[in-house]
Amino acid sequence: MNPEAAIIGLDGVPIHLLGELAQRGVMPHTKALIEQGCLAKMRSSLPANSAASWSSMITGVDPGTHGVYGFTDFIPGTYTVCYHSSSKLKAPPFWSKRPGKRVLVINLPASYPAQPLNGAMITGFVSPQLEKAVYPPELLPRLKEDGYEVDVDASLFGKSIPLFLRKLEETLDQRLRVLDGLLEKDRYDLLFFVVTGTDRIEHHLWDAYADGGHEQHQDFLSFFEKVDAAVAHVASRLEPDAPLMMLSDHGMGPAETAVNLNTLLRDQGYLAAGDDPRKNYNNIRLETRAFAAESTKIYLNRVERFPRGSVKPEDARQLCDELADLLSGLRHNGRKVVKEVHRGRDVFRGPEAGNAPDLVVTPMKGYSVKTGLFKESLYEEDFLSGTHTEDDAFLYLRGLSRGDLPDDPCIEDSIHVFMKQLEI
Amino acid sequence: MQHNEEKTCWNCPAALLKGNVDFRACGQSIEALRDKISEEGLLIECARRPELGMFEPSISFEQCPEWHETRFGYLLKDMRVMILGIDGYLGWTLALKLAKLGCKVSGIDNYLRRRAVAEKGSKSVVPIADMETRLKTAKERLGVEIDFRELDLLNRDELEEYLREVQPEAVVHYGEIPSAPYSMVDAEHAIRTQHNNTLGTLGVLFLIKEICPEANILKLGTMGEYGTPLTGRPIFEGLFPADAVLTWRGQEWSMGGELTPRDPASFYHVSKVQDTFNVYEACKYWWLRSYDVMQGVIFGVHTEEVSEHPDLRTRLDVDEWFGTVINRFVAQAVLGIPLTVYGSGEQIRGYLALEDAMECMVRLLSSPPEPGQYDVVNQLSQLYKVKELAEIVAKVGSQMHGLTVRIQRVENPRVEADEHPFLVVSKKLRENLGYQPKTPLEVEIDRMFTLLMQPDVRGRLETVRETVFPKTWWSGEHKESMTLEVHEPGTHAAAGYNPELVVSEHDGDE
Repeated sequence: MNPEAAIIGLDGVPIHLLGELAQRGVMPHTKALIEQGCLAKMRSSLPANSAASWSSMITGVDPGTHGVYGFTDFIPGTYTVCYHSSSKLKAPPFWSKRPGKRVLVINLPASYPAQPLNGAMITGFVSPQLEKAVYPPELLPRLKEDGYEVDVDASLFGKSIPLFLRKLEETLDQRLRVLDGLLEKDRYDLLFFVVTGTDRIEHHLWDAYADGGHEQHQDFLSFFEKVDAAVAHVASRLEPDAPLMMLSDHGMGPAETAVNLNTLLRDQGYLAAGDDPRKNYNNIRLETRAFAAESTKIYLNRVERFPRGSVKPEDARQLCDELADLLSGLRHNGRKVVKEVHRGRDVFRGPEAGNAPDLVVTPMKGYSVKTGLFKESLYEEDFLSGTHTEDDAFLYLRGLSRGDLPDDPCIEDSIHVFMKQLEI
Repeated sequence: MQHNEEKTCWNCPAALLKGNVDFRACGQSIEALRDKISEEGLLIECARRPELGMFEPSISFEQCPEWHETRFGYLLKDMRVMILGIDGYLGWTLALKLAKLGCKVSGIDNYLRRRAVAEKGSKSVVPIADMETRLKTAKERLGVEIDFRELDLLNRDELEEYLREVQPEAVVHYGEIPSAPYSMVDAEHAIRTQHNNTLGTLGVLFLIKEICPEANILKLGTMGEYGTPLTGRPIFEGLFPADAVLTWRGQEWSMGGELTPRDPASFYHVSKVQDTFNVYEACKYWWLRSYDVMQGVIFGVHTEEVSEHPDLRTRLDVDEWFGTVINRFVAQAVLGIPLTVYGSGEQIRGYLALEDAMECMVRLLSSPPEPGQYDVVNQLSQLYKVKELAEIVAKVGSQMHGLTVRIQRVENPRVEADEHPFLVVSKKLRENLGYQPKTPLEVEIDRMFTLLMQPDVRGRLETVRETVFPKTWWSGEHKESMTLEVHEPGTHAAAGYNPELVVSEHDGDE
């Protein structure tokens, strides 16, 4: 029996890219699907990274409630960076609310290590050990035999672009093979399949898409042809009119110039740190008032939060204002660099809001933000050509019309709409 | 400030590097690894705090709730320490000290030491309980549980099983035959010493690699590995310092970081040198971490814990094989035998009271090296000439215990320089690990007299009187050393070279 519904994730695909590729004939199956439902622009999470956004998608709540602000966070009471773990998710994923339904989740980012569920799961990036990326563990031998790779080694791009592209295609094929194998063996009510190569290729070859004369322009299009075929393949496992949601978790735009936020904070006297790379944020000294982490997040060095904290709670609001003014006023070659500075205390409202970054920065088009502690120059050429955008992800639902969606949908709305459709 | 408060996960055996960074056995240098980390970051997991998931190895001991403050520095809570040779003079003493500090102590022993001393016709002059009684008394008097397995170090199958069960976070390797004269008796004793020590250690290294590669390995070496170079060149702590330079034919080469020369003084000392190379290589090949502890000559009977109850006492040997010099001198003074000084008595050695040695070991356990780091400490508190020691023992014996003590010079059965310069560096324990010697020589000698003059101990001492005098010659002969001279204390001042001990960066600066 076919699954009753499916979700397809296309990591990092902005709505305009999807629309253009559909119109140009690169993604004909996707074009046909779009005609059977509604496609809308969707806001990503804040911050717009895959850990926060996919966590918002599967829980239907914002980071202030599910507690995931990125792939990294600080171990409470320390400057030590810890990595996201699914065990830290503070809100239940949607499948746990439908315990009677069997779900098959393949390649969902930020879900490592795989947690028990009614069904099966293979987590997506970042999953350091395949052994912990799979539930139930009985699936493991088969995956190992097949040489299953959770993610393509991004450093391959620097070594050989053709090899990088080939690996992207191979991993996508591999995931589809796994999907088929599992569906042959067992019955599932819901499929959840995420393509992450989209994010990878856009980060590295955004310029190749934008420039028709670029050496890899055709490679970029070919990969999306393959993605389109994968979409069709997953859709083919359903009844023709079965509920199907397709979405991206954030958008993508050009990254020409990177701005190093910690360099700015250091140069402006907000950040004082040593230079031992192994200590990373443990280099931070008492004089520090603010520092940035994981691209877009800025933390005040609060006394109640960090071991060498210097900012008292009563001074936090004013310091946030000061930093927001500094960032908003930043100019590079006469151009504004920062589009918006969001104050954590205004944006995040749930029980986990206390662990939120104090500020989240979204850059202007053409700029990306970085947070290495030891960069000398404020601006440098970005080694990636694409960077995340927060306001142009997409949401598609088969069989629904625009009126079924909220006016200005954001990523945590998506699962509510889909669940409602399933209930009907 | 504690000496180890700024150490981080890099130094913590609970930090699981294996599986998270695949650098073992790949021949990468630590510098290459550091570069990789600064560029790409490195994430680990914690065996003790799995809820943290993956994180940067940058939590300091001061910040980490798994490390708690003690008077010896931060110590890993309930640290699982396995002591190889737990029944011995040092092994048992350390077991009690660590257990009292909250460590989960386990240990193995095959009672080889008890048998070897019996083979000499001797026994511990301080009566010691059997292991069962020791463990029971430790529980009753100190409230500590120590896990023991009677096991030969060379029995790798059983040792493997035990290591898997315990999963130690530190391994203290005292499981060796610790006697130069024993190794010089004949071929059989030399082979037994090297077989047990060298092959035993090699086997242990393979097991640690497989079972607990993050464990801090405290390997007992000896100052005797270095010998006593007649040029008087410095005895560094195992490795040349960064500014050491070799000059030859007008050219200069840096020696920084290389192993310093070894010049062992018996087949026993050779076994320790072989161990040094095996441990050094294991750290290099498999990223194990180890302190090679170049220990001076230990003397004494006291620690807070062993003095708690007669059944907790550690052994004290005074026979010519296993008795170390100060212990033998005190025994001889009590027995009325003139103290036997070999040759001129100008031999200089490093010494350390039992209590201080134990503190050093705790401090080393509190501050593990980094993965792949082979480090060496020269563990001693002071340098003395043998004849100076005889004088001090005679003085304490006569002045504080009313004994008449005389000194005899006997033929030296060993092949060693009677007179030699000796410039020893022992900085790391003091400068990096916060150690300061606490037990004055006279105080510990006084304690020994007090204990050895107790009637029951005195009685046991009488029964081993014949085993004290040296009869084992490095030449292979078996004969008593002839007495060259008997004299009163205070009549033979030390002459010749002065010992030099460098304990800080600025010692000896002009």
